[in-house]
Amino acid sequence: MVKRLRQRIRHWLVERLPRTDTWTLNHRNVYIVPTPAGWSFAAMLLVNLVATINYQLNLGYMVIFLLFGIGLVSMQVTHRTMRDITLMLRSPAPGFAQEPIPLDIVLSAPSRERHGIALEFNDDLSDGRKFALVHTDVPAGGQSTVTLTFTPLSRGWHDIPAIRVETRFPFGLFRAWTVWRPASQVLAWPQPERPPAPWPAMAEASQGGQLRVPREGDEWEGVRAWQRGDAMRRIVWKKVARTGELVSRDTTTMIDRELWFDWKTTQGLDVEARLSRLAAWVNSATQQGLAHGVRLPNLEIAPNVGAAHRVKALNALASFE
Amino acid sequence: MRTSTRFRNLPRDARDTLVLLVVVAWTLLPHAWHLPLWCIGLTTGLLLWRAWLAWTSRPLPHTIVRTAMLALAVGLTWWSFGSVIGKDPGVTLLVMLVVIKTLELRARRDALVIFFLGFFLIITNFFYSQSLLVALAMLLAVWGLLTALVLANIQAGRPSLREAGGIAASMAAWSLPVMVVLFFVFPRLGPLWGGDQGQRASTGLSNTLRMGAIAELVQNDQIAFRVKFDGPAPPPASLYFRGPVLTVFDGREWQRARTGDMPPAHALRVGGTRFEYEMALEPSNAPVLPMLEWTSHVEGHAATNLEPALRDAMPLGTTASRLNDAPRLRHDGQWTTDRPVTERLQFRALAHAQATLGPTRVDASLAEHLTLPGGANPRTAAWALQLLEAEPLLKQQGVEGIVQRLLTHIREGYSYTTAPGVYGDARGRGAVDEFWLDRREGFCEHFATAMVVVLRNMGIPSRVVTGYQGADPTLQDGWHVVRQLNAHAWVEVWQPNQGWRRVDPTAAVAPERIQQGQTMRPAPGLMGSMLGSIDPALWPRLQGVWETTQLRWNQWIVQYSRGQQFDLLKTLGVAQPDWSHLVYSVIILLTSASLGGALWAWWERRRRDPWERLQSEMRERLHRVGIEALPHESPRTLATRVRLAWGDGAAPVVDLLMQLERTRYARGATARPDPVWWKHFVRATLRAPP
Repeated sequence: MVKRLRQRIRHWLVERLPRTDTWTLNHRNVYIVPTPAGWSFAAMLLVNLVATINYQLNLGYMVIFLLFGIGLVSMQVTHRTMRDITLMLRSPAPGFAQEPIPLDIVLSAPSRERHGIALEFNDDLSDGRKFALVHTDVPAGGQSTVTLTFTPLSRGWHDIPAIRVETRFPFGLFRAWTVWRPASQVLAWPQPERPPAPWPAMAEASQGGQLRVPREGDEWEGVRAWQRGDAMRRIVWKKVARTGELVSRDTTTMIDRELWFDWKTTQGLDVEARLSRLAAWVNSATQQGLAHGVRLPNLEIAPNVGAAHRVKALNALASFE
Repeated sequence: MRTSTRFRNLPRDARDTLVLLVVVAWTLLPHAWHLPLWCIGLTTGLLLWRAWLAWTSRPLPHTIVRTAMLALAVGLTWWSFGSVIGKDPGVTLLVMLVVIKTLELRARRDALVIFFLGFFLIITNFFYSQSLLVALAMLLAVWGLLTALVLANIQAGRPSLREAGGIAASMAAWSLPVMVVLFFVFPRLGPLWGGDQGQRASTGLSNTLRMGAIAELVQNDQIAFRVKFDGPAPPPASLYFRGPVLTVFDGREWQRARTGDMPPAHALRVGGTRFEYEMALEPSNAPVLPMLEWTSHVEGHAATNLEPALRDAMPLGTTASRLNDAPRLRHDGQWTTDRPVTERLQFRALAHAQATLGPTRVDASLAEHLTLPGGANPRTAAWALQLLEAEPLLKQQGVEGIVQRLLTHIREGYSYTTAPGVYGDARGRGAVDEFWLDRREGFCEHFATAMVVVLRNMGIPSRVVTGYQGADPTLQDGWHVVRQLNAHAWVEVWQPNQGWRRVDPTAAVAPERIQQGQTMRPAPGLMGSMLGSIDPALWPRLQGVWETTQLRWNQWIVQYSRGQQFDLLKTLGVAQPDWSHLVYSVIILLTSASLGGALWAWWERRRRDPWERLQSEMRERLHRVGIEALPHESPRTLATRVRLAWGDGAAPVVDLLMQLERTRYARGATARPDPVWWKHFVRATLRAPP
């Protein structure tokens, strides 16, 4: 009951925050409270103060007041550790659902070195487990990058959950924290079917087979600049050694058949399973360097090959409907 | 591999553990002087073992080992103290607990636990000593513990020890003002409950005197007390500080009179020069206040047997008194307190050069001062009677003549030494006979004892007074330093109409001892003799500086008390300070400190980068003349826009913007913008085409 209430209050507090990709910490968005260690520190000081009064130990007073002062100073230092830090989220790359997607967060400090900064997602995992804290230090006037991993459970666009940035530096007596809601969304592709189903039969080339699509194993007609996704064995190493530039064999050939991954061929499954199967096909075709097109009820992506094509295809699958 | 390289290459956890172990060992070190031997051995062994485990990255021992260790520690503590409760067993157990805790120590996780335990250890050190050296050692220990805590709170990477130590030191430095203010202002309360304050053997004078005791005492150059006179000090020969007055003699040991306190007839009548002085008394564990003869007032308490006219005229201001109960003047002229002096006391007093003490006419209290143990020293008794018979003139001269005759006798035939050996048989019989008639060499207590025995045999009431005589020949910071080696014993003789009068036989045999306050200094230690060979004055001077520092430390820190707090408030202008003023000042100081902190935070927020401020002012300026400028746009971008908007007329503004671009972003850019530039810019925009 109390736990639910607390969660609701926390949720309400977080919902009030604006969504932004750069979050600069100042006195308005950094909160500070004593940690359990801080409370026990205070209790210990009190116990020792009583003992000191009873035994009339002036040096005891001295040490207690010194530590009391240090406690106060540490509150200030803990808050200062957080203040003026700017957090920036690099636009996250899409990834598959159920697989961790790295989120790169850049912390920059205009002045002073910052120690013991920890980042984690504000909410616990759905099964009640805590996210692991990621610790970092930020050099004075410099930056440090922290990677949190976010695992989307389903395909489509996801809000990045609120991130809590906190520190207990220097003594762990106080905890200063801020909650940040990044504005960027992360796109989760459909989870590829495993094991992948066999490909559908190749369709007849629609417009007389004029499309030149690179394929493995055919005779080659020349060289072109290397592209992402070109297999290692297609690189012309001799030329690379001579010129220092990466070049690949341009083994395009006239084909009269095209590889199409069609929504219709996946009939008999539910929507998500169909998308999963298409995603798995796109993945394996890209791996093998085969040109392929994707046909969805409302969208058609012309056959092509390479990383960019794969992303385009998977994005289309992810945002289906 | 060399040790330093090995240390640098240790895993971080192992390194942090070693640091923590060193800090723990350092904190424990001052305890070594009062812990049982087994505890010292076990502690050293366990700490070394733990360090070796960390050094070689071996696994920690099993829980069973730790439990067994704990059981062993409790058992041994019981065996040593017969209890596990109380100060000494408690400290022993705490030490063992800390050491056993290190056996399951993972530096980063357990740093806080060790910090708390270490803090308790630091406080317990002060039970035993609050000296300057202990304070410095504990300051280092606090620093070490803080450093370990900082290390534990930097999780990423491998922070250097120097960095962590620096952070800890700067934090401590920042908190120093809080500490100083609270230390001086926090109201000092009395003990909250009666506890075991420690029963220690007394040093210095006690209420009994054994022959040879003072000779032992003068081997000790510890400071007994310090005295500072407001005006000129009395000459060294009259610096007699009165301790216990001893009347009852059993042949071996002296004790105080059995007569009750202060018969009203025994008035103390004082006169002559007044000496106002301050005394800083070291703890002696005896209820003795060795006041200067003749002190009539101690810290606002007049002697109750003082003449009424003097009794009310208390001329002394109160100071930092730690006298918890009223000092009293006994009828025999000795000042006492109700409880043994277990902490340093500082108080003011008033003394007079002359006084008449005790009854002026024969009364019952004198009987005790004529009693001798039967047959203890028959030869001395015979000698005394023989002297009176041989010199009948003495009887006519009275007490004064007899005393002078005895002093002449001593001067002519005796010598003064601190090591006369043991007199008398096992029960002390014949001790005086042996000294007075056979060996004739001795120390102040021998002369005093023998003289009283002779006088009593002649029917003259007399007694032994113990105390201190003289002081260090050099002043320390205006204070006369009186040490245990100034301990002394002398004689008091009663005469009708005059009461008790001091007679010092030692002055007869060793006048330099009394007149110059020359004492029997023990040989200096190794260090002392080495320095002495360089410059004979160096060692005493160094000793003087050190003792002055200690005196200041004791006065201002160790025995800082409510009285001193009130003095502080008085200098701050509070006319009638009481402890509510202290509470107010704590509140006022805390409030102003937090206000100051808030102000500072506000100022820091407002403070912006001067370039940033300039740019925002520049944008505003441009906006006013119709040029839109966004925060992220550079002066170069703005210059292009201005040129587009105004054409040729824009040249001055464009030039200025390009100049700004260069001074801001070129190599060697200045930290602050040039104020002249701004003046030119404003002028240029004013003249610009609309």
